[in-house]
Amino acid sequence: MRRLLLLVAVCTVVAALHAAEIPSHPRELKYPALKYDPPRAADYRHKLATGGTAYLVEDHELPLVNISVLVRTGRYLEPAEKAGLTSLVGSQMRAGGTKSKPPAVFDEEAAFLAAQISAGIGDTEAQAQVNCLVRTVDSCLALFFDMLQNPGFAEDRLKLAKSQALQGMQRRNDDTAGIEGREFARLMRGQFFTTVPSTKVSIEAITREDLIAFHEQYFYPANFTFAISGDFNGKEMMAKLDKALAKWPNRPALVSSVPKPSFTPKPGVYLVDKKDVNQGRVRMGHLGTTLSNPDHLAIEAMNGILGGAGFTSRIMSRVRSDEGLAYSAGSVFPSGRYYDGVFSAMFQSKSPTVAQAISIVIEEIDRMRKEKVKPEELATEINSSTEQLSRRFATARQKAAQFADDDYEKLPEDYWQKYRDRLRALTPEEMQRVAQKYLQPGNLVILAVGNVDAMLKGNPDKPQYQLTKFGNMERIPLPDPLTMVYPKP
Amino acid sequence: MRIIRLIAFPILAVVAVAQQLPVQEHTLDNGMRILLLPRKGSANIAAGWVARVGSVNERPGITGISHLFEHMMFKGTNAVGTRNAAEDAKLNLELDKLKGELRKEEAELARRLRLGEITDVKDPKVRTARHQELLGQFEIVTKRQSELIVKNEFDRLYTGQGASGMNAGTSEDYTVYFINLPTNRLELWFWMESDRLLNPVFREFYTERDVVMEERRMRTDSTPTGRYTEQFNSLFWKSSPYGWPVVGWPTDIDAISREEANAYFGTYYAPNNLTATLVGDFDPAVAMELAKKYFGRLKRGTVPPPAVVTTETPQVGEQRMSASAETTPEALIRFHSVADGHVDEPALNVLASLMNDRTGRLFKSLVLEQQVANMAFARQDSRKYEGFVEFRGMAKPGKTPEDVEKGIYKELEKLQTELVPDRELEKVKNNLAAANFRRAQSDFNLLLNILINDASRSWRSLNTDPPLLQAVTSADIQRVAKKYLKPENRNVLILYRKGAN
Repeated sequence: MRRLLLLVAVCTVVAALHAAEIPSHPRELKYPALKYDPPRAADYRHKLATGGTAYLVEDHELPLVNISVLVRTGRYLEPAEKAGLTSLVGSQMRAGGTKSKPPAVFDEEAAFLAAQISAGIGDTEAQAQVNCLVRTVDSCLALFFDMLQNPGFAEDRLKLAKSQALQGMQRRNDDTAGIEGREFARLMRGQFFTTVPSTKVSIEAITREDLIAFHEQYFYPANFTFAISGDFNGKEMMAKLDKALAKWPNRPALVSSVPKPSFTPKPGVYLVDKKDVNQGRVRMGHLGTTLSNPDHLAIEAMNGILGGAGFTSRIMSRVRSDEGLAYSAGSVFPSGRYYDGVFSAMFQSKSPTVAQAISIVIEEIDRMRKEKVKPEELATEINSSTEQLSRRFATARQKAAQFADDDYEKLPEDYWQKYRDRLRALTPEEMQRVAQKYLQPGNLVILAVGNVDAMLKGNPDKPQYQLTKFGNMERIPLPDPLTMVYPKP
Repeated sequence: MRIIRLIAFPILAVVAVAQQLPVQEHTLDNGMRILLLPRKGSANIAAGWVARVGSVNERPGITGISHLFEHMMFKGTNAVGTRNAAEDAKLNLELDKLKGELRKEEAELARRLRLGEITDVKDPKVRTARHQELLGQFEIVTKRQSELIVKNEFDRLYTGQGASGMNAGTSEDYTVYFINLPTNRLELWFWMESDRLLNPVFREFYTERDVVMEERRMRTDSTPTGRYTEQFNSLFWKSSPYGWPVVGWPTDIDAISREEANAYFGTYYAPNNLTATLVGDFDPAVAMELAKKYFGRLKRGTVPPPAVVTTETPQVGEQRMSASAETTPEALIRFHSVADGHVDEPALNVLASLMNDRTGRLFKSLVLEQQVANMAFARQDSRKYEGFVEFRGMAKPGKTPEDVEKGIYKELEKLQTELVPDRELEKVKNNLAAANFRRAQSDFNLLLNILINDASRSWRSLNTDPPLLQAVTSADIQRVAKKYLKPENRNVLILYRKGAN
């Protein structure tokens, strides 16, 4: 709890500080031990009468209450011919008013109360939130639960949202960053629920009845996990929740599981041409593993050393600091909750030096496999993760959200309690083992988006670097943004 | 931190509270300001400092130096970042000398480009043998220095101790450096930050500007609208130094010399031009002892930072720019308004808030009623020396940016001719008041707010401005609407989609 008091320690005399000389290097500094134990979710967990779970973290410092609910559903449950449906269900729950309040009325009430209310549906979860002032909490809760239970999905707001969606589609080929994300996902996943694009036809096929049906199918109390934090009394809050949920038609939580992709990426170089830019955006990678793999923490640490830890990591050091070839450069290796994650390294470099930077990244991936990391590199990486653990739980809001997420993702109950010891047990040998097992420099899909002619021409001062040296080359044309049909090359 | 609730008794208000931040304010003997906001409980500290310098303090020829500096401040010191400080310093001198020689060659190529004798100064074929030889030598010395450098040691020392989110930002008015620390590593922060202010070494001074050029390409050149908004910004500010981009003009980024950098550092990074702030879980008495011990070592600057002289010359007629870009067609209408802290600023802020969000006037009018736009926003941007208020809307498919422009004028006229109803004004004030609490939900957010405000007027504006917003009346809004939203004070950017009819 974060109750604030004026510090009583103002008159503490810190005589020891005067005496101490300033050391010539910070490695000579001595620190008091940090006593920190991560909080246990069980201490904050409450079962709702209707079957869901709520995590309540009280914090009376600010007169605010945050309520967030996770709902087991997602884009994976959307039929391909109605691509874009779940995104509209999420946005229109908030924008379309409720059964008893037209959008204008609902929005005016929320705005006058200074309540921030939102809803959205992602790939594998839905989330709705309200942040409000404690003195208006009952009115805000009433609005929030009305939205959650009885969304109006007003026809005129749906029409507007579709128009906005079409406008968003028209921007699909404008920004190289957007193209990079889209095409890399397609290269990694092939046809999969995460890569099925909405089109003009699929958006126009979506009706108000589709929204209502989707909402009815997945939004019911047993399917909710709440994260609640702020200025309230726990018992009273539970009573409010139980009361709000009591009259809601309920059924046992039963939602079909997330599918797994079956696609095998094809290594090689893929080029997308955007004539009007002077910088190429590169993303290169291959498939990874899942969170249930006991190696996932070792992989995360290994990737931290390779490219995941900002300036401290090798890719940043070489591509940016040594060579000045990019402003941002690095790698990510997230393990998937439901299916294999994707390892990828990325940077942006002026067109002529794209090939040189790719070559450096491949060298660094190779080096992780060939050489053991230095003990001090590993120590920095481990210490960084262990000492930062408290930041995950720094505020009441973060605590409640972390507990709810872990519950939703079915993380082991003692995960954070064991987290630091598991990291401290890692060795340089272990780093090399997971690098050899999970990094595949011979199997990279390399995507470059930019001025293709300039990227192919390369740097006349360094002719040894050529895009043609990294394997099979294939050009990806830009699709029609409204149909997502790709012209034949 | 203690929260004091001030009851203002507005008739309709559901939010009758304001929050006073109990920041402890100290000034060291060398003029450096120390602001402390202890909050118990998180085992973390958000720490940072701000230099009251940004692109507004630059001049043609060195535009972008404030931002280049922000990058150089991570390159280490005599103690951090090198295996051999003496040898490293010698190599820096050698590099400067070679760069001086190279500049002569580059100037000659620039002359030939100007005359049309060559078309590409980067083409190796246009270089003289001497030029090529200098490039070779430069690469060799860079490599020798690189072998002495302990790569990114500055970052590594922090990261290895559990600090995270180390970064910095440069704006027109300030340069801010920040990080999150575990609560027991406070002394490390004082050591590291005072060391880089005391003994900075601008290593990789020349390769780092390649990084800055990549940053410019990423943010400006290779985004759909970056180049267009940069040109519009330069059109908008006629004489004010706000007219050049924070990242700088490419020619200048390339040309900045070590002498210019040293002079800039001596003037603007002197302790009398800095404020350091801590927010989070720490003992303020310990923090002050450490501040005296570490920051107390810095010497007050010999010359005070010079005043910013050039202000914006009043605009006498509307300016328009239209262009085709790879983006949604839109209209942006921008008026000169007021600087941070001006008496009209609260009314302009409330005016902009009235226009925004899903119950704001722009959404209701342009999106729902007139159906000319799919999205629309307003904002008052108050900088240290000048400001502007702007209105922007994306055209609905089938509508033109000019339709959006006309729709916006209709709403601006309404602000000038009709008083805002009480309840609508109260709604906006409720949200502005709630924002005071919301910003305090994060230590890091508070840290940035305190630093940025202290670089302009004072951190105290965080406490004094909210009541001014609550005091704004409908008549105030009408008055500022008439005063600033005038055609001759207007600048319009019209963007069409490239390739569309």
